[in-house]
Amino acid sequence: MKKFFSKLTAALSAAVMIFTAVPIDTSAEQPYDSYNYDRWGDAIPSQAGYTTERTVSGYDLDIGAFSSPSDIFISADRTFYIADKDNDRIVAVNEGLTEVSAVYDSFTMPDGSETHLSKPTGVCVSAENGNMYIADTENSRILIADTDGNVIREITKPDSEIYDSKKTFQPQKVTVDKAGNVYTVLGNITTGAAMFSPNGEFMGFYGANRVEATAERVRNYFRNIFMSDEKRSRRTRTVPTGITNFDMDGDFIFTCTSSSSQTTDTVKKLNAAGKNIFANMELTFGDFTPMYDTSQNKVLAPAIVDIDIAADGNINCLDYTTGRVFQYDEDCNLLFITGALARQSGGFVQVAALESLDEKLYVLDNVKNTITVFSETSFGKAVHKAAALYNEGRYEESLEPWYEVLRRDGNYHRAHVGIASALLRKGDYKGAMKYAKLADAGKIYDKAFEGWRSEFLKANFGYILAGIAVLIGIVMSAVRLIRRRRKEADGK
Amino acid sequence: MMDLTSAQWVRHAVTHPIEGFEDMRWKKSGSLKIAFLIVGLLFLAELAYGRLYGAQFYISYDKIFNIVPYIVRSFVLFGVWVVGNWAVCTLLDGEGTIRNICIYSAYSLIPYVAQVWINVILSHFLIRDEAVFMEIIRIIGTLWTVLLLFSAIRSVHQYSAVKTVFAILLTISAMLIMLFLMVMILALVQQIWIFLLSVYTEISYRIRV
Repeated sequence: MKKFFSKLTAALSAAVMIFTAVPIDTSAEQPYDSYNYDRWGDAIPSQAGYTTERTVSGYDLDIGAFSSPSDIFISADRTFYIADKDNDRIVAVNEGLTEVSAVYDSFTMPDGSETHLSKPTGVCVSAENGNMYIADTENSRILIADTDGNVIREITKPDSEIYDSKKTFQPQKVTVDKAGNVYTVLGNITTGAAMFSPNGEFMGFYGANRVEATAERVRNYFRNIFMSDEKRSRRTRTVPTGITNFDMDGDFIFTCTSSSSQTTDTVKKLNAAGKNIFANMELTFGDFTPMYDTSQNKVLAPAIVDIDIAADGNINCLDYTTGRVFQYDEDCNLLFITGALARQSGGFVQVAALESLDEKLYVLDNVKNTITVFSETSFGKAVHKAAALYNEGRYEESLEPWYEVLRRDGNYHRAHVGIASALLRKGDYKGAMKYAKLADAGKIYDKAFEGWRSEFLKANFGYILAGIAVLIGIVMSAVRLIRRRRKEADGK
Repeated sequence: MMDLTSAQWVRHAVTHPIEGFEDMRWKKSGSLKIAFLIVGLLFLAELAYGRLYGAQFYISYDKIFNIVPYIVRSFVLFGVWVVGNWAVCTLLDGEGTIRNICIYSAYSLIPYVAQVWINVILSHFLIRDEAVFMEIIRIIGTLWTVLLLFSAIRSVHQYSAVKTVFAILLTISAMLIMLFLMVMILALVQQIWIFLLSVYTEISYRIRV
């Protein structure tokens, strides 16, 4: 026995030595523990979908440090455009983030004069005509320029009845749709994004947020009824928080709103008519149960400052409060949570903007003045592959990738949902019921159960009928017997 | 006339909502054993409703199982009802003893308990589209119990209909007061316990040093 133990300890120490001797890829280490949510909405440890590849600063690009960069955009020709706010310039960088292709700090106006930017906070490049759209905030204008630096059009404060002339015009973010309509988020405007036609005419506002019906608002509403008009006019008005940022995906515009108090409409998917498709879906973006920070004495409520729709339809939301990127698939199921507040590479101090290109995420930090590049892990690849197949409607093909995901992380909630629906589509009702229960997906379970029940009835209809007939026979004879006994008892 | 066993009396009382309890009172019938059995079944029904329901309707949170809410929803609530009713109706010239209030109230819970059990069983056979059948059963069972409870209180205390309504409303407020006091006592006891515990801890630290 003693010999056995000594052998065992020798084997164990050998094993330890082997494991420590194998070089571990340290680049995969993150300054945070990756987590995800289980079916009850509780945070549980999970595998990372993205790891930090590198961070890029202005020095790496030989253009001096960025200074509070506030927006990043990847154009159709895979060039990065960075709105370097405090340096008053737009920087165009190549795809690998290695070389600067252009630095725009001055533009030529149509009349030949030169113009400079002042604190540009937003940039966007049209996929159709290749023009740059720059939110030139301090100059109160939107510049539309070609990539050689020639201004094509300048959009300034609209002279319109809809636009309150007392309000300033401070474009924060800008985007452009296929038809060339320009949308811009304005500071201190809460009625939505301003919309301009391709030739610069003001067309109105688009996609305002709703006012949240909190207890205070309801109380104020009832108080309002009994107030004089004079008093009413002096009260603060109830207005929703203005939208913070947006991204365009095909025919839809996704908007996000960062507010410490507002919880509805933080992320919206707007169709061409400005109707929010997510409105009645009871979705939560950001952490489910925000953490309470004792050192700051406040709840770390999510504040989504940027949103990005990847080419495969995934929705990436950047949370300012926690410095995390929440990735959702197109049906708003949570896939991955990446990033943290930290000084190390992979963490952020103050996040500003987010973009994605293929399987990489690019996060801009406006205090660290860097761009952090995240690349997909093999686990991330497996999940994305399965989710993409699933969202295309190829449920049966997505089955094997989902099993692969489960083999790597048995707690991965999205995989249970995927397998349940795939099995349901395949007609394996029993299996679908099992996974739907694991996924807490009542609707899928309901459909699977319906299928299983009809199959069961079909297969055993004869037995059931026979069983019912026998039961009726027993009951009837019992009733007859009891009656006869009663009669006999009465007879006596 | 009306020489029924105690099991037959249960059937008579439940199926004759208007005069069933009057007859029972006339015959001085009713069994405490059966009453406790019914409350026990209510407890089990609440448990089954929370834990054994069909997954197409409701998937229970199975990370933690806590039996206290189920006890509160059955035993405690029933006990508070009986004591509250007895306390209120003694002041309102009611004729019922606490034993009779307990028995009659428990008997009138039968349709409700049966409804829960039937729904728990049906929830394993029906789908969401057919939930309306379960809803109907639930409504019938609950209304029946309400009717029986009204009739039970009326006959156990020999009240008029209006006075019964009044007594029931007072009973409900008495229940709320009692539950409030219970919660407060629990909180106070906890505070005292924590105080004693911290005194003990402090002393034990001092002694050790």
